Amino acid sequence: MPNPLYSFPRHLRAIATGLKYLIAPNRMTVYYPEKVIELPPGYRGLIRYHPELCVQCGLCAMICPAAAMKMFVKKGEKKGRPGVNYQRCIFCGFCVDICPQNALEMVRVHDVAYDRWEDMVLPPEKLAQEPVSPALAEGAKVVRPVFSEERGLVHEPA
Amino acid sequence: MMGMGALEWLISLLLSPQVFAPLIFPGLATALVVLLTVIWAERKIAARVQMRVGPLYVTRRFGGVLQMLADGTRYMFQEFIIPETCDKPYFVFAPILALTLAILPFAFIPAAPGFSPVKSPLSLLGALAVTSAVPLAVLLMGWSSENKFAIQGAVREAFMTVAYEAVVFISALAMGVAYGTLDLEEAVLRQRLPGVLLNPVSAFVFFVGMVMSSGKLPFDIVEGEQEIVAGPYVEYSGIIFGIGMGLAYLKLYAFSLLFSLLYLAGWEPLPAPLYNLYPALGGVLLFAKAYLVMLFVVFLRSVYGRYRLDQALRAGWRVYFPLALLSVLISVVVRVVGYA
Amino acid sequence: MRARLLAREGGEEVYELFIGPQHPSSGHMRFIVRLEGDVIVSVDPDIGYVHRTMEKLAEGREAIKVIPLLERMTIIDSHNVTIGLVRAMEKLLDVEPPPRARYLRTLLSEMNRIASHLYGIGIAGIMLNHSTMFMWAFGDREVWLQLAEELTGARLTHTYSIPGGVRRDLPQGFAEKAEKAIRYMERRLEEYKRIFLENPQVVARYEGVGVLRRHEASRLGVVGPNLRASGVRYDARLAEDYAAYSEVEFEVPTFEEGDAYARMRQRVEEIKQSMSIIRQVLRKMPSGPFFAEKYLRLLPPKLRDQVLSTGRLKFPAIFATMKLPQGEAVARAEMGHGEIFYHIISDGGSKPYRLRVVTPSFRNVILFRYLMPGHRFMDFPAIYGSLDYFPPEADR
Repeated sequence: MPNPLYSFPRHLRAIATGLKYLIAPNRMTVYYPEKVIELPPGYRGLIRYHPELCVQCGLCAMICPAAAMKMFVKKGEKKGRPGVNYQRCIFCGFCVDICPQNALEMVRVHDVAYDRWEDMVLPPEKLAQEPVSPALAEGAKVVRPVFSEERGLVHEPA
Repeated sequence: MMGMGALEWLISLLLSPQVFAPLIFPGLATALVVLLTVIWAERKIAARVQMRVGPLYVTRRFGGVLQMLADGTRYMFQEFIIPETCDKPYFVFAPILALTLAILPFAFIPAAPGFSPVKSPLSLLGALAVTSAVPLAVLLMGWSSENKFAIQGAVREAFMTVAYEAVVFISALAMGVAYGTLDLEEAVLRQRLPGVLLNPVSAFVFFVGMVMSSGKLPFDIVEGEQEIVAGPYVEYSGIIFGIGMGLAYLKLYAFSLLFSLLYLAGWEPLPAPLYNLYPALGGVLLFAKAYLVMLFVVFLRSVYGRYRLDQALRAGWRVYFPLALLSVLISVVVRVVGYA
Repeated sequence: MRARLLAREGGEEVYELFIGPQHPSSGHMRFIVRLEGDVIVSVDPDIGYVHRTMEKLAEGREAIKVIPLLERMTIIDSHNVTIGLVRAMEKLLDVEPPPRARYLRTLLSEMNRIASHLYGIGIAGIMLNHSTMFMWAFGDREVWLQLAEELTGARLTHTYSIPGGVRRDLPQGFAEKAEKAIRYMERRLEEYKRIFLENPQVVARYEGVGVLRRHEASRLGVVGPNLRASGVRYDARLAEDYAAYSEVEFEVPTFEEGDAYARMRQRVEEIKQSMSIIRQVLRKMPSGPFFAEKYLRLLPPKLRDQVLSTGRLKFPAIFATMKLPQGEAVARAEMGHGEIFYHIISDGGSKPYRLRVVTPSFRNVILFRYLMPGHRFMDFPAIYGSLDYFPPEADR
């Protein structure tokens, strides 16, 4: 049996640590969807396609590891334009990184939801639209994570 | 006129201590309300310590306080599945028996002076004896489930009962020695100083025994979720599962009422206006003290993990049993010195 | 038709419990535990529930596509998992990353190591039903995931290293944020000590439980903090020179007792060492490109300037169809769970001919059979938590 003189003060220390956080909690919950976290620049979110810059080289479809990016060839065209199947996309960003014309970019949106399974396959026309976060569209407040020495991550209004 | 006479008789029956105390305050109805709120409080306290928020959305403006009502309603509508291989009559009967036994202590607990349901010079013994019968029903639950995890849980319940019963009894009886009575009402009236100051060792040992008996961390060995997945309650679903989960809290409530009566001066100081209005209302302070004790016990959940079974048994017999005997000695000294 | 409670084999008192995949604390695997009363007689781990045939899938993908695939083996530690593969490919392709890329790889590796150890400590806490340790470890892990998000663009699925270097440069203001995170973590480690590591109840559960002696550890081929807590000072960061580990100073802590308590303390000490490495890396970061010149010169000059000014890599077009030269290459890396080993064989095509990976959890599975017998049943989750075993990694 452990020495009670040794263990009793440590029991009290553990209880005191718990009480300290009971009285002064340090909550890190973000009340999504009333508040939305602002994503840092360079975040790998949904893909936006700029058709005017694209030269239809097909490199993005060649490098996609999940076979999510496919070239959609219209009748009469020789080469196609890229479309994404979000059922397969792993948001690795290889397509964005390999495009020699910077025609693909990843926007800072990640919380899009689809109603139907078929909606997740985006042809080039849909891919050219700017993705919109539904929480932001319904008026969520934006908070930004700030590093702090006492509390770790604090989410302050942006 | 006959109708009025019958109604008056009914109301006077309802307001008599024999019916009001066990059924309404501090008995069954209050126990159910306490059950609802203390589980919510446990989750909120744990969330405060653990950097999160806890249940919030059920009644958003009040901090989600009716979350357990929502959970209970969901349990009501869930199918009560009875396994094919279990012992059906005992499977259904055991949790009901456990619930009934867990409510019986309220037949002995007084809410205010002159308001005991069963006025007896042995009411402390009666309350303790009845609570010690609940583990038998839990054993029956585990055995009739015909599930290896349930059997393990039932065996653990048997072991834990052996560990804490002696400790709780002896430390409570030590207070009986100090006050010179085993009647709970008299015990409060004779507390010139609160019991926790007269005999702190007994208070500490009774407190630890209380935590052991109600299966709260660090002694939640019976429902050890990480090893035996809810122990004796594993095969139960629906409202019976809710009853099983609430059983531990009912025991905790009964024990914390006993703790407040024996050690925290019960209902003193008695609020005279409320007492004159209706005697049971004078027990508000008793209820508040018991509730605070319960809140501290559920707070321990955020500080501790679980002890191993043999460590709990060893602690019960090698540490707390000698301390309980020591508390009897202290009580004898107190009685000889102060109360003679 | 009553259920039988006793197994036929063995003695009459031995009965079997299936701690199956449908269990709160079994992870993605099954254990067949034989108990005699309360004492464990034998434990049979049954792995394979999360087998995703990653080695075979890698044979059907081009070289650079294998990296995100294998990253999903241990997604909580994703950079350490892929850096071994990337080193093996770099050896085949005969390309060396520039110094800045090596330091950036070290930075992310250490951040991942801290996150992985926090995950392990948290799981060990919940195995004892200490929910506060669990929530605190995962909440503090958020700080490190946010830092990784600022560096790589994703919280867990970094895919940061590729053959030749890394994909992103350090963003502005990263060093101050990392310093604040480190100071916060140092404070929190003290509080972990007060509420968990020196909590007498936790010490009673861990001390003297699951003792792995030194000669047993080396005989069984155990790796990682489990090995170092038993007194064997082996670390793949010292054994193989990769990233910038030969240029930073750090200690490899070891403990002598080899019990579960030593393993938990070992992880906390390793977190402290990782934080010291991050501080040194950020101080000593060399300037220069973050991708190999051999591939950067394949980019047109406009893209090359864009890469060097924005700090985001553009792949040269040959990456889509890069051929791995014929040959074999071997590489090791030190993950949070232990040493991971890669062996890649190429026949000159763009897809690997054979990829063999030996993960640390696969090597640690043997401990379930050897450590458990003789302990009480409630020691089972305690030992499981202290081993930091990750089933998806063991099953690949």
